[in-house]
Amino acid sequence: MFTTSSKFYVALTVLAAVSFGVYMILIGPSSIGATALFGMIAVGILFIWLSLHTRDADTDDEFASGAAADAPSRSMWPLVGAAGALLTLIGTLTTPLFFILGLIVVVATFVEWGIQAWADRASSDPAYNAAVRAKILHPIEFPVIAAIGLGVIIISFAEIMLAVERSAGAVLFIIVSSWVLAAGVVVAIKPNMRRGIITVIVVVGSLAIVAGGLLGNASGMREELVKAAEEDHFMHRECGPEKDKYTDKLALESVSSRSAVVATVEFIDGKLVAREQGVPGERETITIPRSNPSSIIFRNKTEGEFRLLAVTGKTMVSEGVYEVDEHCTQLIPAGAEQLLTLTMAKPTLEGGEFYLEVPGVEGQRVELVVP
Amino acid sequence: MVSAGQMVNRLTPVLRRLKFLPLVGFVALAGCASNAPQDTWAPEGPNAQMIDDLQKPIFAVAGIVGLIVFGAIAFAMYKFRDRGQPIPEQTHGKPVLEITLTIIPALILTVIGVFTVRTVFDLAKTSDTEMVINVTGQQWWWEYDYPVQEELGITKPIITSGQLVFPVGTKVMLRQTSRDVIHSYWIPKLNGKRDAVPGRVHLNRLEADQPGIYAGQCTEFCGLSHANMRMEAVALSKEDFAKWVDQQLADYQAPAEGTLAKEGETVFLNQCVRCHQVNGLKRADGTPAIAAPDENVVSGAAPNLSKLMTRNTFAGAMFDLVTPECRADVWDASRETFGEKYLAGVSEECLNQTDLRSWLRNAPEMKPMYANPALLTSTGGKYRGMPYLALSENDIEKLVAYLLTLK
Amino acid sequence: MAIIERPSTTAPAVLPTVPSAAFGALKRPVTVSSGWRSWLFTVDHKKLGIMYGAVAMFFFIVGGLEAVLIRLQLAAPDGKVLNADLYNQMFTMHATTMVFLFVMPMASAFANYFLPLQIGARDVAFPRINAFGFWAFLFGGIFINMSWFLGGAADGGWFMYAPNSGPIYSPSHGVDFWALGLQITGIASLTGAVNLIVTVLNMRAPGMSLMRMPIFTWMITVVQFLLLFAMPVITVALFLLMFQRNFDATFFDVAAGADPLLWQHLFWIFGHPEVYILILPSFGIISEVLPVFSRKPLFGYPFVVFSGAAIGFVGWGVWAHHMFASGLGPVSVAVFSVATMAIAVPTGVKVVNWTMTIWGGKLSFPVAMKFALGLVILFTIGGLSGVTHSVAPSDTQQTDTYYIVAHFHYVLFGGAIFGLFSGFYYWWPKVFGKMLSERLGNWNFWLMVIGMNMTFAPMHILGLQGQPRRMYVWTEARAGEGFFNLGFWNLVASIGSLILAVGVLFFLINIFVTARKGKQAPADPWDARSLEWMTSNPPKEHNFDSIPTVGHLDEFFHRKYSESESGQLTQVKSGEEVILDLEKNADAHIHMPSPSYWPIVLALSLPVIAFGLIYSIPVAMVGGAIALLGCYGWALEPSTATDDEIDPPSSGQGKEMVHVG
Repeated sequence: MFTTSSKFYVALTVLAAVSFGVYMILIGPSSIGATALFGMIAVGILFIWLSLHTRDADTDDEFASGAAADAPSRSMWPLVGAAGALLTLIGTLTTPLFFILGLIVVVATFVEWGIQAWADRASSDPAYNAAVRAKILHPIEFPVIAAIGLGVIIISFAEIMLAVERSAGAVLFIIVSSWVLAAGVVVAIKPNMRRGIITVIVVVGSLAIVAGGLLGNASGMREELVKAAEEDHFMHRECGPEKDKYTDKLALESVSSRSAVVATVEFIDGKLVAREQGVPGERETITIPRSNPSSIIFRNKTEGEFRLLAVTGKTMVSEGVYEVDEHCTQLIPAGAEQLLTLTMAKPTLEGGEFYLEVPGVEGQRVELVVP
Repeated sequence: MVSAGQMVNRLTPVLRRLKFLPLVGFVALAGCASNAPQDTWAPEGPNAQMIDDLQKPIFAVAGIVGLIVFGAIAFAMYKFRDRGQPIPEQTHGKPVLEITLTIIPALILTVIGVFTVRTVFDLAKTSDTEMVINVTGQQWWWEYDYPVQEELGITKPIITSGQLVFPVGTKVMLRQTSRDVIHSYWIPKLNGKRDAVPGRVHLNRLEADQPGIYAGQCTEFCGLSHANMRMEAVALSKEDFAKWVDQQLADYQAPAEGTLAKEGETVFLNQCVRCHQVNGLKRADGTPAIAAPDENVVSGAAPNLSKLMTRNTFAGAMFDLVTPECRADVWDASRETFGEKYLAGVSEECLNQTDLRSWLRNAPEMKPMYANPALLTSTGGKYRGMPYLALSENDIEKLVAYLLTLK
Repeated sequence: MAIIERPSTTAPAVLPTVPSAAFGALKRPVTVSSGWRSWLFTVDHKKLGIMYGAVAMFFFIVGGLEAVLIRLQLAAPDGKVLNADLYNQMFTMHATTMVFLFVMPMASAFANYFLPLQIGARDVAFPRINAFGFWAFLFGGIFINMSWFLGGAADGGWFMYAPNSGPIYSPSHGVDFWALGLQITGIASLTGAVNLIVTVLNMRAPGMSLMRMPIFTWMITVVQFLLLFAMPVITVALFLLMFQRNFDATFFDVAAGADPLLWQHLFWIFGHPEVYILILPSFGIISEVLPVFSRKPLFGYPFVVFSGAAIGFVGWGVWAHHMFASGLGPVSVAVFSVATMAIAVPTGVKVVNWTMTIWGGKLSFPVAMKFALGLVILFTIGGLSGVTHSVAPSDTQQTDTYYIVAHFHYVLFGGAIFGLFSGFYYWWPKVFGKMLSERLGNWNFWLMVIGMNMTFAPMHILGLQGQPRRMYVWTEARAGEGFFNLGFWNLVASIGSLILAVGVLFFLINIFVTARKGKQAPADPWDARSLEWMTSNPPKEHNFDSIPTVGHLDEFFHRKYSESESGQLTQVKSGEEVILDLEKNADAHIHMPSPSYWPIVLALSLPVIAFGLIYSIPVAMVGGAIALLGCYGWALEPSTATDDEIDPPSSGQGKEMVHVG
């Protein structure tokens, strides 16, 4: 008795009614949203009556034709379309995210429904009609659904990995990848396994990852990453001789440019030795052009972990209160090297204002000159 | 009767031969003197000489090979033209001949290759440096700074622009970098070019045999005023260079109270010091005036104007700071008198008032530099070059008087 | 394969509708032989070749006018014709237009038209992709040039060095249009490359082994492999540039730790093979023309083939010779310097082979031959000046001066473009059935030779006298005096450029005059040697009535001439007779591809997407929808038109022509 379009309006009206109830409870009756949702219920009822009364405006001739002789197949699109329309409406009232999601659902519904309806009338043979539909829609559906599915899995997994500790993450990674490998091996060995079993394995695995992702997202990134995000490459929170719990890890060999740097500074057996590119011999000062990013390579050739610190003047934080501008490399072990890139906007007017040193080591300074 | 077409065919070989005359011309006239200031075949320093010694024979070899090839083609075109002879034998080649003619050029190139590689490494030598100058390019001028080098009398850093001053017979190492886009430093008579790349320090050897001014041009395309980004390298005798260093290191002399120049200093402190540093200049309250080009210009730098009047050019060597007569006097001076004339600096009579005043009046009109404010949105409002400052004629008068004191 | 196939289990009689009508919009277009539809929806390699040629010719004129403006600006010191901004756009677009929108597509025009004919095929392997490639090139070219009217064209030079190409230093949308437009033409080149490679490898006539392939086809094949590997590199570079400009990426941002030299490496790894992509087709053309007018086979065919392939390979190892002044360090410089010298050897081999081809021949000098010989001489000059700057120290004096401009114009104008003109005169009767006028052709040739040498020879002097490139003005103060003063030679070059322009104008006049009252071409006007002449002028839609079996290199020649016992060559058949033989044995069933609506639709989506990326993402989404539509139409349209949709069964002459996909 229900025609195709009347099903859509029924679903829409029911959903609008539910939303109206929720809205009334959460936000209260005296709002635009409540008014709009109530209006929707009214309009929905009107449209249900209209579409039932006119039997979807189908003429009898067409009902008599062979193509539409079969009863319309069951369809989820009326319901989905209604939900999408509602989501759009909620979006206009709350956040644009819902609006966009709703819009996507509505557009997808139109495409799916339209082609479904068209395919249903292609011939009187349902199997053939299904094949026609598949021919057109599968090339869209498969990539889109696969992309969404993969995206969700990847993001979930990323959330897990960002939340757990580094070592735990490594273990987790090994476990998950072992499971994936094991599942793959099982499928390969038993190619005739029942579809249902494979589906269960895949669905359970995916759900576990998604659930883990949600949990990870809820608990936030691990502290180390939060701290690291607060710093840039060369502005560390800790520039002293002690190891920073978060940033001074795996600091080996992080030199991106081996030639064409302004200067090379080596810490050899407790002494700081500076060489400027293209200048023979050791230097007591390094000249850096004003307001230009300039890179210095720091090499540690002393037993123990050391960092190079650049002190580049003071910044006034508040009236009369100054903070020393510090830039430093990480603590690097003997034999390692790292790049320090400095940009200095102001010239040195007096000697000794700007300098390089190794924290914890006295009496070893290389002066920086900005002309 | 000979038809016009056949006539053309007959003449073809002759005309062909005429076409490579220019190439012959290069080889033949290579040694001829000419006055183009950026002549690449007129080395005046050992580095350029090294290049010249390598390239001239190669030009000659290329010319000779060319002549042989063109001769062969011209001969074939004349000898084997269609005179009703039967269709030639359909041969597909003679491998021995082919291989021979492949090996000969390969051998020639091997010889050239050996000399090339040797010269490449000679020109990259850094161990014999006697003096270092940092060269920083930006749109569209060069900054030169001299790090402390006690043995040369440079006890404090010197910073200048427009003209690179260095002593003759000294192996100078330029340490080049850039503040914005890629530029290229090129003084043809002293050495080949070397790019100045932001974030990198590139080395470039420079040495002049004789005192004089050597012209150059930025040769890596760097935007609107690429054509106006010029260089002048000034070689001074060692004694004169010592004098120049003393000149540059002299303390700032504030103009006397009550003079027009003093008023000019006030204008300078209000306007120009936003970008242009003058070492030693103090504000009325006695604090040093520190320019903040990093807040106003994309490249983060503007020429340091201390001792402006010891230079002969301004605006990235686009304009002369001296009148044409005074310029000719310096450029054409004999080797002996050059140093003295150059060190005299810019006197009031010699000052190129026209260009300097026009520049102060409306710089973007004199030199293209993206002055249109609509184009500054991507830079957050920072200028690329000197903006229009809406200075009054009165202010310009005062400023010129002040600038003249910067010696 | 048709989409709609009735399920056999269902009785057809009860079906009330005709299922194929449901796909009404997805029918193939009607095959017509004339009218605008015959061009818009065509997949015929010959029609596409002609369109490639016509569009490339248009862009040649555009690029030429840009060049003339540049020369007018530089004719005198402190030129006032263009301002700095416009001048920078002008030289950027001149190079871009000439390289990407003229020489490359013009080579595609020749390749499209003649490659299938030369290997005895009826079309390329993927005719619809071929059509798509053409439309993508056309729309890409238009897209790049649209920037002139939307706030200014790209102004960073065709090499577009970072960081000067960044949003701070080039604030107009010109560089965006440039980068995206080149992506589009890049797609065209890539699809074309795949298509032609597959065609050459799979669709040669029976008996045509690789070493019996005409030399032009060989050179085009090498070029397609170069394209296949070079285009991805520039694609990556352009994507980096686009992200840098439009999405705040920092690939070339020094403050973020990047190295601007990355762009230079990427660009020249593409850019150097690109040089060979430009020149090798012309090498192929004159390697066809010289033997024909020398009445003698190409000297050392295998050497020419292998030197072409060697150039293709070694061409990948010399990119950094464009960067000798960039500060790479002495080891890199030395290595690339020597590698560059090495590539001079195979190039020299070609010049030697051409010389030896005419040596001992029976030479006639129609305009096609004149242009071919012009290439040999002018390219040699360019090649020799190239050797002087393979010597890195010498190059540091010459690079970025007019000496380099002179060098590569001798190579690209005297080389590539002269080769293309030789091809115009040689193949015009084949394509249009009419002979280009030799009288006007001689004017065209001599004016171009004089103009070309007057324009570019003085640039050697200008460069050695230290005039850098890309300067919108030059100044009297740096011009010098005497015989080598810059003022005089700049003026000579500018006058030369006008003469050159008049020379090209003569070619256009020649086209016009020939179309109006040119004389009908005989079947075999040049007594030619290769397969493309073994059919009518212009060729029928299906190229060959029967596919010839190939027994020789220069098959056509060997069918016409035979050697007597004394070794004397005598003509046994005329060209017409050979063609007639083929017609007599015409194939009964000739399957030709049907036209299609979808290549042009799909190609149209590309500039829409690009436009959207610059101005507004929703527009890009509309473009994406068009692309999706194009893909679907392409995938779903029937693979063949029904018989009644062919209109009319042209030139069938008793044969059954079936159009299939």
